[in-house]
Amino acid sequence: MTTAPSPQPARGTPATPEPDLVSIRDLIYQVAGIFHPDNKLSLLQDRCHRRMTELKVATLREYFECLTIRSIRQAELTALLNEITIGETCFFRNQPQLDALRRVVIPKIIEAKCDLPIRRLRIWSAGCSTGEEPYTLRMVLLEEAADRLKDWNIEILATDLNERSLAHAKQAVYGSHSTRHLTPTYKERYFLPYGDQLQVSQRVRTNVNFTRLNLSDDSRMTFMKSLDAVFCCNVLIYFDLTSKSRVVQHFFANLLPHGYLFLGQSESLFGINDDFQLVHLPGTTAYVKGNGAGRKTT
Amino acid sequence: MTTAPATKKILLQRLEGLRQMPTIPAVLVPLIQHLQQPVDQFDVQEVTDLLAQDKSLAAQCLQMANSPLFGRWQRVETLRGAVVSLGFHHVSDIAMSCGVLNLLPRDKEKLDPVVFWEHSLGCALVCRHLARQLKLGDPGNAYLAGLLHDVGIIVNLWALPQEFRAAFEIAKAEGIPLHVGEERSLGFTHCDSGRLLAEHWNLAPNLIEVVSFHHSPEKASQNPELVALVHIADLLCRMSGLNYGYLEQQQVNLFDDAGFAILAKSSPSLKRFDWARLTFELDCYMDEVHNVVQAIYRT
Repeated sequence: MTTAPSPQPARGTPATPEPDLVSIRDLIYQVAGIFHPDNKLSLLQDRCHRRMTELKVATLREYFECLTIRSIRQAELTALLNEITIGETCFFRNQPQLDALRRVVIPKIIEAKCDLPIRRLRIWSAGCSTGEEPYTLRMVLLEEAADRLKDWNIEILATDLNERSLAHAKQAVYGSHSTRHLTPTYKERYFLPYGDQLQVSQRVRTNVNFTRLNLSDDSRMTFMKSLDAVFCCNVLIYFDLTSKSRVVQHFFANLLPHGYLFLGQSESLFGINDDFQLVHLPGTTAYVKGNGAGRKTT
Repeated sequence: MTTAPATKKILLQRLEGLRQMPTIPAVLVPLIQHLQQPVDQFDVQEVTDLLAQDKSLAAQCLQMANSPLFGRWQRVETLRGAVVSLGFHHVSDIAMSCGVLNLLPRDKEKLDPVVFWEHSLGCALVCRHLARQLKLGDPGNAYLAGLLHDVGIIVNLWALPQEFRAAFEIAKAEGIPLHVGEERSLGFTHCDSGRLLAEHWNLAPNLIEVVSFHHSPEKASQNPELVALVHIADLLCRMSGLNYGYLEQQQVNLFDDAGFAILAKSSPSLKRFDWARLTFELDCYMDEVHNVVQAIYRT
């Protein structure tokens, strides 16, 4: 028999995750649609521990009870979701999604609209918070404006329920946390110094239209028409199943036949809507209308 | 298959003239047999002893046995310990994986083989995961099929290193599937060269089909479900971090896929399966595959 060489994987890393943590993971997926794969469970555990400290709860099993059978369950679930998504708002938050938009989705949209007389691209950032996402989308599209999107009219709609977030977005001034993923090129090209912070340049702010909108407002949702893509990242997680289903059905109606719905990283529509189909893009996923967008090329 | 006859002839000549034609390691022959038959018909001790004789292979096996990929709970120090704690089937999977990975030439000058190791091992794990989750066939057989599906790349790396590198660079630069780059540049694909090797190794007919048709599952006749399963696992790997070192710039809708249609015939519930969750679950393999392959590469 041969003796093993020095261990490479971290010794003591349990191969089987803690069952109570898995129960919490499954609950979060079932209720909010966000999935934590096994290699990200330590992140979820960390978030749970923060809440457990706050609640003075000793074990994950007891905390699972707080989320399921105790009277505080609804409030606690929201508190945990806030912990999970905290600090996620920043420019270029989901690079694979942006790369897929630029390299695969935009060419497919252009192809789908090539016979139309008006060259217009309409993208909606639904639940845009303080504006990092719509400005990121605008910057990505500006990079394409000299090439594939030359002569295209690009419009970005950005909506949120929170007036203060929208005011922040319109002012377009951001600190180091929000701008941490920006490359020096993007900083130089699309930002101006504003004290010790950065302000998004006018060139980017043009054609990004901020409006207050409640996604549960059926009458106003009906008017969001002719969209090529909707980005709704980590927003639906706070809705109950019925409201979520209604919002997603609106997105389906709002999108053009070739349109795309992008959700947050590891966020799923499973069990919410059967009309959208999951598609795999390089390093990420999105949803399209069944029999709508492009076919596979393998 | 669409191999250009002239090019195929050249390939065959090159393979015949190759002094170091990749040969299947002796220890893997009984393992392949074992992995395709019930465990009670197999002499576990005999194969474990055989594995232990190959010190390098045994050391690599222990590296992998101690990785979270194989459900390690306590550290194992010996092959016997690995068999006791993981079961012989898992140890066979591990030995096959190390044996196949060793077949790739280690010449980084031509093309770094680590990416192909990572893809093969990743695909094997995803095949096993899919077979379990979708309740499609034997997970052990699915693992073996996933591990071996790209043996044609081994042939190409040995027989035509410069030409294969050119085909790989085209595919990478354009973000197209490797077999499309090969077809364009070489006139044949790793499915064609893999078939030659699989036949040379006397692999079982269903494995030869996996090697030959994993990019065209509709052509399979022996075991189309296994071929379709590998096809989908391969596709998911290539669209994620378990690729060949580059991401293919394409959009894949499984519902339009030929392999999916084959699987859906026998399992209609596939259309209602949670593919999003399964995709997210595969994330957990990426870091571990990378770690274990890097560790074995240094062994």
